[in-house]
Amino acid sequence: MKQKKTIEERIEETMNSFDGIQPASPQPWLFTRIQGRLLKMEEKTSWDMVSSFLSKPAVAIASLCLILFLNGFILFQQEKEASVVILPAQYEPPSDSESMIASSSSFDYETLVQP
Amino acid sequence: MNEWSLIEQLKQGNQEAFKTIVDSWQNMVYNTAIGIVKNAEDAEDIAQDVFVQVFQSISSFKGDSKFSTWLYRITITKSLDHERRKKRKKRFAFVKSLFGEESELLFHPPDFNHPGIVLDKKEDAVILFKVIDKLPLNQRIAFTLHKIEGLSYQEVGEVMKTTLSSVESLIHRAKINLRKQLEAYFKENE
Repeated sequence: MKQKKTIEERIEETMNSFDGIQPASPQPWLFTRIQGRLLKMEEKTSWDMVSSFLSKPAVAIASLCLILFLNGFILFQQEKEASVVILPAQYEPPSDSESMIASSSSFDYETLVQP
Repeated sequence: MNEWSLIEQLKQGNQEAFKTIVDSWQNMVYNTAIGIVKNAEDAEDIAQDVFVQVFQSISSFKGDSKFSTWLYRITITKSLDHERRKKRKKRFAFVKSLFGEESELLFHPPDFNHPGIVLDKKEDAVILFKVIDKLPLNQRIAFTLHKIEGLSYQEVGEVMKTTLSSVESLIHRAKINLRKQLEAYFKENE
């Protein structure tokens, strides 16, 4: 019981340890250092800013995803165009004889390789 | 010179007005940052970052809230960003330590002594700062702003864009959680 009370007292003391706290102050000449930082930022060229922007992980990953997406999209489009080379007006359905040639030749081939 | 004329002058790029703003609010910004990141050098860096952002984006400040509220929000955002970066570095330091490289300071940072704590309460405050870190983010920010910055519940609500009753609830839950954490700490260490 005694130990329990001691712990409770310790908790109370610790909880009150911020009482009477004074605000912390930075080192002197903060304004001079801020001006220095602003000057340094102004000295950066536009290329520095572009490269630092692109080197951010989020931007780099997003750009990579965009490039991959565009790449895939262009490939898909090209394949689509390649498969539709015959325009509807020029399209002529194959005649029965042509189908027969195609099917019989494949049949012939298959029978040829049969032992 | 009042707050609004200072802001108007800063919007026109007046360096004197900027200096007055830095001098007037540097303690508030630094004290808030040090309460969150618990490191004097980091807090100094954050204070510089905050005022650089103030200089660059003062035109976006429309005066919907108090200037100090706007400053608190920038400071908290920058401090939390800094904390996240530090955690990432800590994880990286852990990986490096597996390969035998020393990263002791990042891996086991020293106890934090807030310079404004009364001398006879310093040891207890070190423990309290340790357990505050284990609180959920909103509770931690509300408790820190109230206890370290001395903001009223109303002001904490304005900074966190929440209602007075939410702040009361956040701080109440923070105190309950801190007591639980402290109990576990003392049972383990004493």
